[in-house]
Amino acid sequence: MKRYVCSVCGYVYEEEKGVPEKGVAPGTRWEALPQNWVCPWCGAGKESFREQGVPSASVLGPDPEAPEQMKELTPMEMSVICSNLAQGCEKQYLPEAAEKYRLLAEFFRKSGEPELDPSLEEVSRLVKQDLESGYPYGQSAAGKAADRGALRSLVWSEKVTRMLDSLLERYEREGPGMFRDKRVFVCTVCGFIYVGEQAPELCPVCKVPGWKFERIEGGENVWQKNMR
Amino acid sequence: MAEKYAVRNLRLCTKDCLCLYVCPTGASDTENSIIDREKCMGCGACAQACPSGAISMVPRIMPPQQPKEETVKTALRALIRSKNRQEAIAGALPGVLAQAVARSARLTAEDLCREGGYMLPQSENARQFLQYVKELPGIPAETAEELLREFFGEQS
Repeated sequence: MKRYVCSVCGYVYEEEKGVPEKGVAPGTRWEALPQNWVCPWCGAGKESFREQGVPSASVLGPDPEAPEQMKELTPMEMSVICSNLAQGCEKQYLPEAAEKYRLLAEFFRKSGEPELDPSLEEVSRLVKQDLESGYPYGQSAAGKAADRGALRSLVWSEKVTRMLDSLLERYEREGPGMFRDKRVFVCTVCGFIYVGEQAPELCPVCKVPGWKFERIEGGENVWQKNMR
Repeated sequence: MAEKYAVRNLRLCTKDCLCLYVCPTGASDTENSIIDREKCMGCGACAQACPSGAISMVPRIMPPQQPKEETVKTALRALIRSKNRQEAIAGALPGVLAQAVARSARLTAEDLCREGGYMLPQSENARQFLQYVKELPGIPAETAEELLREFFGEQS
């Protein structure tokens, strides 16, 4: 009997034990689980699981290529620097400074290049590219430099990106029906997306308490409202 | 001025009010519950008295940030730029999933950026960044200058 590990939260599915409390009988083979089965902890789809003890392709593959160097900061990079520093101010209870950084973040976000042909397929392509080369390269660079902070942020955001990949694949298969009777929450610390009735007690990726999650209401995007 | 000042975590504060009893300057007695940084003399009496552990002492001058290797910065920036595009694309699409993707992409980019050298608003990187952006065309330069004054006491 085999075991499968969730690459987002570390949950282990054991064929021998099944998940009786979720209606999966002991002895249920991995292949026999329905396609739309999701991780009981974090909600990631079957594609996010790896068989325990079998190294994943990315570990065996060649060294990922270094990304191109870029000197100039793009408007969106500057926007992120500012919204991040706004958070830094908030944590130190400096609300006026936070507000100023937020204003700059918004200015830079609006001066970014508009997306002419936006699609979830393009997001999905970028997400896969991150997982195939961006994160492996980052892990190797941060590992060589023994940069623990960078490694930490890479581990979290890689898991969050795996979840994104899983959600986008599910959306392609199931369409908007996957959100029926469900709500969508985002962890405001690490960005993990959770689909369920209520936010999890602890974030499966960064372990902050559930109140740090923000509910995404859906409908028209704030950005689209701004653009009109 | 003392090296530290008191900060109250509003999530933990249960309004036991012992900080009010012990504070020699009245810094903790404010309407918005945020301890007055200017009045606080850094004695730490409130933090020791608080039964809910809601007050901590924070240094007024932050230590310099850990240096970052160029290779790490390049790797993080490449991911940040990818997350930026994911945010921009998803931000232009309707629906709850697109909205969640845009939010998530911003949050992950922020976290990567924090580890890429922009953790503290008091850091040298933040100062250089503000110096750089205030010269950019069309930017609300006075906002950048206010931040420079606030954190670095710089006159333009």
